[in-house]
Amino acid sequence: MSQKLIDAIIEMREEDALKITQELLDGGADPMDVLEACRQAMDIIGKRFQTGESFIPELIMAGEMMTAITDILKPHMTEDAEEKKLGKVVIGTVQGDIHDIAKNIVAFMLDLSGFEVTDLGVDVPPAKFVEAAKESGAKIVGLSGFLTLAFEPMKDTVAALQAAGLDDVRVMIGGGQVNEQIREYTGADAYGDDAMEAVAIAQQWAKE
Amino acid sequence: MFVRPENWNEISPLERRKARLDAWQNAPVAFVSPEAEAKYKEKISRLRKIYDMEPHDRPVADLFMGANEYVVRRKGILGKDIIYDHEKLREPILEFHREFDPDTSVGAMPYPGKPWDMLGFKLYVWAGQKLPDNLAIQAVEGEYMMPEEYKDFIADPTAFWLKQYLPRAYGALGPLAMLPDFPRISESVDTIDLLLPFGLPDFQEMLHKMMEAGNELMKILGAVGQTGAMVAAEGFPAMGFNIVKTPFDYLGDTLRGTKGILTDMFRRPNDLLAACEAYVPILVKSIVGASDRTGAPCAMYVLHKGADGFMSDKQFKTFYWPTWKQVMLALYEEGITSYLFIEGSYNQRLAYLAEMPEKSLVCHFDQTDMKQAKDILSDKFIIAGNVPAAMMAAGSVDDVRAYSEGLVALFEDAPAYILAHGCFFENTTDEKLQAFMDAVKK
Repeated sequence: MSQKLIDAIIEMREEDALKITQELLDGGADPMDVLEACRQAMDIIGKRFQTGESFIPELIMAGEMMTAITDILKPHMTEDAEEKKLGKVVIGTVQGDIHDIAKNIVAFMLDLSGFEVTDLGVDVPPAKFVEAAKESGAKIVGLSGFLTLAFEPMKDTVAALQAAGLDDVRVMIGGGQVNEQIREYTGADAYGDDAMEAVAIAQQWAKE
Repeated sequence: MFVRPENWNEISPLERRKARLDAWQNAPVAFVSPEAEAKYKEKISRLRKIYDMEPHDRPVADLFMGANEYVVRRKGILGKDIIYDHEKLREPILEFHREFDPDTSVGAMPYPGKPWDMLGFKLYVWAGQKLPDNLAIQAVEGEYMMPEEYKDFIADPTAFWLKQYLPRAYGALGPLAMLPDFPRISESVDTIDLLLPFGLPDFQEMLHKMMEAGNELMKILGAVGQTGAMVAAEGFPAMGFNIVKTPFDYLGDTLRGTKGILTDMFRRPNDLLAACEAYVPILVKSIVGASDRTGAPCAMYVLHKGADGFMSDKQFKTFYWPTWKQVMLALYEEGITSYLFIEGSYNQRLAYLAEMPEKSLVCHFDQTDMKQAKDILSDKFIIAGNVPAAMMAAGSVDDVRAYSEGLVALFEDAPAYILAHGCFFENTTDEKLQAFMDAVKK
């Protein structure tokens, strides 16, 4: 039955996925097992994204299904069902930039991959990243920016984190025009071309 | 303005294209001097040869899609000025042309700030409104058509736009929803339905606001038009295009939002396809009309959601390409060249573009592999691009010089190449821009 759910999710059959989830619960399945099946499905979609077999539509659609399934599961889950997290990530679109689509996908994929994500939203000033990193104790900060005007605020944010003494916090950046040159320019530790690269970077850092 | 020759119905698409390019090249300009006239003619005839894919002395370096704001920002102009003070832009623009002698004219986009304020435009935020003065504009995505409204749009896109979309996209245009369904205005008493909204206070107030906004718009267009005419008069031709998008991008950017349209591919594929189809005749008619009115020989597509990574090859082939291709082919039949401003990367889509007829496209790339683009497309189409915006903002003068010269060398044996930036940028330096422009003159 769980395999049926995995298949429905990875084949983007939304209605089937929700129906199977309900059937599993009605049949007495443990919500945590259902959640685990979802995670396996997301893992497959994520891997397919990395190999160029899945694309942004599949990531967004999978996100929609995951949200709906979680809503179905929530009433059946207990507090102590919380899983152990890989680490904490603070993420946001930098000051002066209000684009959020890519940032939301990255935040979602990080969350699914086991990170505790603090999403600061858009147009986030450097001081707010510093404050959030301090408060949460996150060791990873993700900066998003769609436009070339995001480069300066990215640089400012990296500098602000350093100035606040958060030397053990690592910064990854991403966005439409971000590349290795911009990583170097901003002083960030890494850049990613897409959501799965962001996940891979965060996973690598969490291991170290 | 383009006037069709009498034999229009007998001539081929390429002959029609030639007629449009002739009209653009020979459009009257009141030059400031014989030197300016000679300069203009030299520049436009080089560009014309590139558009014709005929032998010419060197590539053109175009600044419009990259440096259009920088040319005024370098003189301390803020984004807020670009949006609200169009007169203020004139001197910096003229100064730039005099100092740098670019191959084609360049100037900031004519954003109508005051009319946006007056009508409560919601699709963007901008400097002087919700953004700080030094920024410019940013799109705010929304869901301006609900999933269940596809059927309304497909049945009558224009009515949907007028009565549902515009009232949502512009706060002041809510009363447009009161308009009748026009095709039913027929019999004697139907005049009542036609005129009723026009007698109501809310509707009248909206009309007054639209007229006031229209007056402001005329001031803006007057200022922008005067600047453009002065730039041309000093010897700098414009590339010549009207802006358009693909059916999928109109639906995605404007009506459904990214999340909406990308999930529609799974949830309501037939509605999405029918909506794209419904767009085709409207776009064709609109662009042909705009090309006739302005005399611009090209339709410039600002391309968004069909890029690599945004969707699979199958999704592109199913949802994005067919109706876009229909539009481009129909424009080709009318002699209009499609200028593709391809944001992001298009490495997976080049074979699709190659399906188009010879000389029907200018392919302007951002992050696409230019070697691959050359191999697949340069025999048939004009290629442009792709000095990275990131390099213009954060690279060195040497970086820009080496990259630009590398592109010029790569396309040395291609029939037609325009050196251009991959994407728009706000900040660079004069030295980097000079290195970019010098690369075509080596």
